[in-house]
Amino acid sequence: MDQNDNIDETKMLRDIEGRLGVFGRERGSLIPILQMIQEKYQYLPKGALEIVGRHLEIPSAEVFGVATFYNQFRFHPPGRHPIKVCLGTACHVRGGDIILENFERKLEIKEGETTPDQEFSIEKVACIGCCALAPVALVGETVHGGMAPSKVEGLVLRIEVEKEMRQRAGKKEQDG
Amino acid sequence: MRVKNPKAVFQEIHDAAAGRRASVEKQAVPTVHLGMATCGIAAGALETKKAFEEAILERGIAAVVHPVGCNGHCYAEPVVVIDHPDSGFSPILYPNVSPGKAKMLVKLFLEEGDPRFEHILGATVENEMIPWVMEFSRFSKETRIVTRLCGQIDPESIDEYILKDGYASLARALEMEPADIRQEIKASGLRGRGGAGFPTGEKWELAAQADGGDKILICNADEGDPGAYMDRTILESNPHQVIEGMAICARAVGAEKGIVYVRAEYPLAVDIVGKAICQARETGLLGDCILGSALHFDIEVFQGSGAFVCGEETALIQSIEGARGMPVYRPPFPVESGLYGLPTVINNVKTLTTVPPIIEKGAEWFRGIGTPGSPGTTVFSVVGEVVHPGLVEISMGVTLRTLIFDICGGIPNQKKFKAVQIGGPSGGCLPEEFLDTPIDFDSLNEAGAMMGSGGMVVMDEDSCVVDVSRYFLDFTQNESCGKCTFCRIGTRHLLDILSRITKGEGSREDLSCLKDLSRAVSEGSLCGLGRTAPNPVMTSLKYFEDEYLAHVDHKKCPGTTCRDLTAFYIDLETCARGCDVCVGCCPVDAIFTTRTRKKGIDQQLCVKCGECKVVCPPEYDAVRRISPAEGVPVVERLDKE
Amino acid sequence: MIFINVDEKKISCEEGRTLLDVCLENGIYIPNLCHVKGMQTPPASCRMCMVAIDGEKKPAMACTTRVRENMTVMTDTPEIRHLQRTALRLLLSVHDIDCKNCSANKHCELQNLSRFLKVGLKAAPYATLLKETAIDRTHPCLDYYPNRCLLCGKCIHVCRQKNGQSVFTFARRGFKTVISTFGFDNPDVFCGECLACVEICPVGALVVRKDAVNSNQKEEDT
Repeated sequence: MDQNDNIDETKMLRDIEGRLGVFGRERGSLIPILQMIQEKYQYLPKGALEIVGRHLEIPSAEVFGVATFYNQFRFHPPGRHPIKVCLGTACHVRGGDIILENFERKLEIKEGETTPDQEFSIEKVACIGCCALAPVALVGETVHGGMAPSKVEGLVLRIEVEKEMRQRAGKKEQDG
Repeated sequence: MRVKNPKAVFQEIHDAAAGRRASVEKQAVPTVHLGMATCGIAAGALETKKAFEEAILERGIAAVVHPVGCNGHCYAEPVVVIDHPDSGFSPILYPNVSPGKAKMLVKLFLEEGDPRFEHILGATVENEMIPWVMEFSRFSKETRIVTRLCGQIDPESIDEYILKDGYASLARALEMEPADIRQEIKASGLRGRGGAGFPTGEKWELAAQADGGDKILICNADEGDPGAYMDRTILESNPHQVIEGMAICARAVGAEKGIVYVRAEYPLAVDIVGKAICQARETGLLGDCILGSALHFDIEVFQGSGAFVCGEETALIQSIEGARGMPVYRPPFPVESGLYGLPTVINNVKTLTTVPPIIEKGAEWFRGIGTPGSPGTTVFSVVGEVVHPGLVEISMGVTLRTLIFDICGGIPNQKKFKAVQIGGPSGGCLPEEFLDTPIDFDSLNEAGAMMGSGGMVVMDEDSCVVDVSRYFLDFTQNESCGKCTFCRIGTRHLLDILSRITKGEGSREDLSCLKDLSRAVSEGSLCGLGRTAPNPVMTSLKYFEDEYLAHVDHKKCPGTTCRDLTAFYIDLETCARGCDVCVGCCPVDAIFTTRTRKKGIDQQLCVKCGECKVVCPPEYDAVRRISPAEGVPVVERLDKE
Repeated sequence: MIFINVDEKKISCEEGRTLLDVCLENGIYIPNLCHVKGMQTPPASCRMCMVAIDGEKKPAMACTTRVRENMTVMTDTPEIRHLQRTALRLLLSVHDIDCKNCSANKHCELQNLSRFLKVGLKAAPYATLLKETAIDRTHPCLDYYPNRCLLCGKCIHVCRQKNGQSVFTFARRGFKTVISTFGFDNPDVFCGECLACVEICPVGALVVRKDAVNSNQKEEDT
């Protein structure tokens, strides 16, 4: 398992290195580069920060300092179904924090964490701009408006059922 | 190189666009205009679009679905306008169009000509048969300059913008001397829409006078207020008006490079602006020799990575330069020495979007709108407890009462108005006495609130001002860059004290500490974020001290919002035997059956999410929420024997 | 040469210099933590060097104020002192006040400031909020104490000055901001020999690890 991870990481870093060529070596490229990596891999692997530092000829500590400043950048891979709970103003007054709490309780992880099976992760976000639908949560890219504690359970259940169905279908295909 | 007449070149572009449109709109077929901005998509516009397209195909009707931006009526998303000339009706606006409704409308209206009156919000043009939307104050009391075309045109089509006389102002500006453009903007009295209200013409003048190499123009769309999204809406619904404003500004100050700084959290806006820039370049409205003139100006998009503080000019520059977005002491101001040390003009999206109409209609016209000190309009996103939330553009000087009660429909559910929080995290919280305050830069400042980002939260009697202040402090302390002592540590202590108060653990000393520290943070902080961060606390302490005292002295939350100070119970008088709705919905199984076969709540297990209160059938309406929590009646369980 | 008036004392100075530099050179002490003499762009982050300038409504920072002819400055008004004491208490509220076991004991800027401002070494009325990590040992030869650090940034400044690039950076944001040497990967900087950062630290946040002096040199040898 560990060995596999290492192979994956080496592959990932080599890929990232290959993608840096199109970016200039000036400091102003730093944030666009980090955004490119995050878009590709959903997070910034530690090794990538060092590669980026070498590309821009700045200490990797500087890269780390910049990356940790901005909300956008993550340092751990998110779950397959990232859940984002909106805590914008409208969602707050309509109980967004209660929705967040229900996800945390249901999935037994805290905000910012990923479930051990890598299925779910929870994040809070500040306003995704559909205030009339408050409170709102995103599962993957799908917006769920008018959230309620009881809807949380349904959403999670649905994803789990879908996964099982996919697995069964996959198995059937293999068998057939 | 021969310099051509911009107006003539523009006329050629206009004619070409008209030609292209004409070939598309050869026959007058019914058109379904569908709002497809982020808010519309969130409300299900994609599914609605699919339903329309499928139904149209299935029935073999000649009709087209025309994606447009957002018209600001968030409460009505997905919004559809159906223009069906053959039916004899004027274009009709339908609110909340679900896929089912879409299929129904295709069959009954597009095919059979019955517009289904029960689903109509209004007609978009005056007519005899259907009430015109302008008869409703949600529409008629708005004054649209910035958002005039939002929700009316396809943001991805430059032709549609050009045919609405878009870029005509740029052609006009190219025939004006740069100094005359600056003079016009100065004469218009336009003030920066980013929040602080600095006179735009003056900023441009400073930039034009500055020497030190190439000048840079940045359009600030790093909208960070957690309840405001008008910049995004403008970029998503009418990006070309922003680009046109930037090009005019470039001409006025002599900039050759423009940057649109937009949050990466707005992927659709990033995408649409990028496309719009390409189209403008291909059409000769950006790049070298714009419209045959001597103006060279091009724009690129920079994606902000999510830091509220980057809305501050110097922090924004730091982040483009690839550094941590920490504000730097000013002076020098960016107009003297900004991005890479070059003179840099930074204007908000709304400011730049206001420029083309001013050049088109003149400073005199603009001054005729709004108040003498704050001419023009302002865009607010009104959320919270109002009937018609959404984006509203009003002329400056309209009162809060008009905005909240006339335009946004007042407070729902017969509740009473308590407060309005204006200007987001740096704004203030105003009570009822201030409802007749005119909305403009100076009146709001005087009242202790501020225009800020244009976020507005309306609170009814069931909201808690302490909780809302805590919410905003939580936001600012999270977004503090951490550079200076007062903001980094001070906001954290403010938050901790407020959290204590909302938990019923606060004391009178905490209140005086809050006041003292708020003042220190606002006086001592380096940048605008820190200096304004205590505003929500200071204003709510000033106008709602009794609510703070109730929390501190009586452990009571008058708005029954703070969870630690409230409790839920079920009124056995109205609870119905045998009804189990609340039991099923409780996420923590806290609801039990009593000896009388009614329901009770186990206070130890209850997490106070309020779901039972929501689902309890209205004919029983048996769930109560009270504060302080100690007053909750004790109910015995049946199964505990 | 121009003249300015500080605390009713007439001082002659060169135009364009910072008020803080001028005052310090003329024996007028203004509390300061993040300022290094001769800095081109002072960070103005500690917010200690507040002064009252005649004709200005709000307190100004001496480190970013340029001297002007005839400017009248007060460094010791009750309001200024109150704000400075608040700033000191805020810094103390995130500081592990354990002077006995601190390497900077008796030459610590916080101790000096508390003496100067005549307040105890206590955060009250503010609660103490310490970070979870007591010591960061990722650097090969320096220990970093987040709960002592004032985040003045002098170590970053001095390292960049001496070595061209800094091995330190600010990392994270807001209340969670720390100094970090993430992935210490600069073979040209011999921290064990330089130690300018340890010297300039106003508190005891950077300490040479006893068992690891010159360790990055050692690494290179092997």
